[in-house]
Amino acid sequence: MLYRVIHRELRRMVLQPRYLIILTLGAVFSFHFFATMTSEGQPQDLPVAVVDLDGTYLSRRLCHELDATQAVRVKAVYTSHTEARQAMQRGEVFAFYEIPAGTYNEVLQFRSPHFVLYTNQSYLLAGSLSYRQLATMGKLAAGAVQREVLRKKGVDEQQIMGLIQPVALETHAVGNAKANYQVYLMTTLIPGIIALMAMLHTAYVIGRERQERTVRSWMRKAGDNVLVAFLGKMHPYTFHYTFLLLVAEIVMYGPMHFPMAGSWPLLMLLSLLLVFAAQSAGCFLMGCVPDPSVAMSLTSAYGTLAFTMCGFSFPVDAMPLPMQAFSLLFPLRHYFLAMRDVTLFGNGLAVCWPQVCILVAFWLLLLVGAAMFGRQYERRVAC
Amino acid sequence: MLKSIASNLHDIWDVLSAEVRRVFSDKTTLVIFFLATVVYPPLYFYIYHLEALHEMPVAVVDLSRSDASKRFVHKLDATPELTVACRCTTLPEAERLLADHTVKAIFLLPHDYGSALAQNQTAHVTCFSDISSFLYYKNALLGGSNVLLDEMHTIELHHQSTEGITGQQAEVQVQPVAYDDVKLFNPTGGYASYFIPALLLLVVHQTLFFGICVLCGDANENRRALHLIPARLRGRSIYRVTLGRLLCFLLIYIPISLFDLWIMPRIFGLPQLGSAVDIILFLLPFILATTCFAMTFGNLFSRQRMSTLLCCLFFSVILFFLSGLVWPQSNMPPFWLAFSYLFPSTPGIEGFVRISSMGATLSEVRGEYLALWVQSTVYFITSYLSLRFIKRYRK
Repeated sequence: MLYRVIHRELRRMVLQPRYLIILTLGAVFSFHFFATMTSEGQPQDLPVAVVDLDGTYLSRRLCHELDATQAVRVKAVYTSHTEARQAMQRGEVFAFYEIPAGTYNEVLQFRSPHFVLYTNQSYLLAGSLSYRQLATMGKLAAGAVQREVLRKKGVDEQQIMGLIQPVALETHAVGNAKANYQVYLMTTLIPGIIALMAMLHTAYVIGRERQERTVRSWMRKAGDNVLVAFLGKMHPYTFHYTFLLLVAEIVMYGPMHFPMAGSWPLLMLLSLLLVFAAQSAGCFLMGCVPDPSVAMSLTSAYGTLAFTMCGFSFPVDAMPLPMQAFSLLFPLRHYFLAMRDVTLFGNGLAVCWPQVCILVAFWLLLLVGAAMFGRQYERRVAC
Repeated sequence: MLKSIASNLHDIWDVLSAEVRRVFSDKTTLVIFFLATVVYPPLYFYIYHLEALHEMPVAVVDLSRSDASKRFVHKLDATPELTVACRCTTLPEAERLLADHTVKAIFLLPHDYGSALAQNQTAHVTCFSDISSFLYYKNALLGGSNVLLDEMHTIELHHQSTEGITGQQAEVQVQPVAYDDVKLFNPTGGYASYFIPALLLLVVHQTLFFGICVLCGDANENRRALHLIPARLRGRSIYRVTLGRLLCFLLIYIPISLFDLWIMPRIFGLPQLGSAVDIILFLLPFILATTCFAMTFGNLFSRQRMSTLLCCLFFSVILFFLSGLVWPQSNMPPFWLAFSYLFPSTPGIEGFVRISSMGATLSEVRGEYLALWVQSTVYFITSYLSLRFIKRYRK
């Protein structure tokens, strides 16, 4: 029975391959997009500016030193605060240092002058990266002056270092040593996009049967068993999208050298479960709402929310409690948690079994969706 | 002459009213236009309203157990970003806590922490952080480096006082050049203020796009594309149809976008520095460009009601990244930068965020503003041509 439905679906797929081809190309495009867009790993040479009201050797040296770092480059040196602020509002620079007039003189006179560091926090990543770099440079500038003073006093070099920098902090990101933004983005977004496609495509092919009024012939092939009808319809897409996701993962964790601390089979299992859970959610929505195109737009709304609710950009623990509960309803959330365990921490099933169980529990949605669909079918609603 | 203008206006009015009726009689379009734009904004505000992650749990491994190391740990606990949830005696113990997500970061103070400080050498603290969300990493980095700076200051003052230098003179020795930092436009570095303006603009862009594509798909699927044209207009120039439909969506979306982008942020207390006039003047070409873009796309590619949602939804994620809010435009490969200007959302998000969150005036976003007008013009012409193409082709 199942085989007959699958066979029917495959025939429909071959007769009208347009959307399958478009979506496959879309997945490849997305992969290529993120891979080339963020290939730097972390944004480098971010444009910053200096407002140099001092115009002395010290302020010029600071400009040069800033320019020499990897994270930022000095795009312009302005002579007034307003010019720099406008450049920031035009989006040309993300941060600027203001060096007040008379800085060098004050240093010579042993009065500590004040620099002001302005950063644009409307761009979270660029803003905080340039902040970090400029703040460090501020410290180094102070250190350079201190060093001169200590040398003149005859303190030996090793002690100078201990005096200028008594404590140093080294930060390591577990599993992603260089804090590579590309790894962070792609490992969640690519599976998210493929799961979204799988869900929409499944919902679409079910809705299409209703639009074309072919539900009856579809059900007949399944011996009037709605669950078999649904499973048969889903399977070709489960296979296709799991395959796409596995290829993407093999490319990411293979030739692109993304960190992979755990076991491959577990990651593959998770990918399959993600695709199937997303499809089940699509079936559920299609089953509940009789109008296929309304159902499709609800599925879309739910699908796009997944990118927020999986908590990879804004962590779920920082959301209000009801939203933390709401996040459980998104397969991508569970995949994200388990994938992080496997790839970054090298954990096995012992730690991520709850996620696996929840992803399996999404199959219940399929049952509910099929049941609802079956009841509408019996009442001959939109067949 | 007057008569021909009047008859043109009359034709446009006919198309406009027919299109309005079509929008309000289509359930899917109603869901997309009115439900999505009303539900999404409060939902996103609610999700992000706590703005940041506070008191993230960390583990501390203090192998030195000196006064200095205890002070460091105390200061860590006192930061708003971090809270010391566990004090472990060995690193492997803390690593286990990190691996099962009880804590999000580990701070390791080595055996020689106290003695290095006593001998005027640099003491090294190591931090291991979870990076599954960048915010975890940012918190560990921020909390850690704030404590580091403060601790350096304390220790250096201590050094100075052992040499008999105190007070103002010691301060100057320790900090010959000071700096203040001013975080502009989003002083707390909050997530809502950063993310939501852009997200709302994208919601307006995408709902308008998909709504129009559903209508076009419906028309194409039922071979009714030309039914849009009132019977007495057939055979005459179809610029009236394009213009009439454009006006219809403009009428519907001006109130919607003002609600989403002007009223909602005020209700939820997001920073809004730009003037109302600037925002309205900016949104006008944005809606025009998006409508014309959607009509062109819909006429040419939207074959069925549901097909555009199916094929283009994933692109929302890409549009967001193309806007330059996450990955800065200065660091985009030139090809993607050029590509991003095909879509009204790119100049839309860039410009709107700058007006609304950064208080820019229209003259400071003139590049984006101009881009939107250019897009409006080009896409108006293409949507006219695409309808003409359909008319020829279907005949």
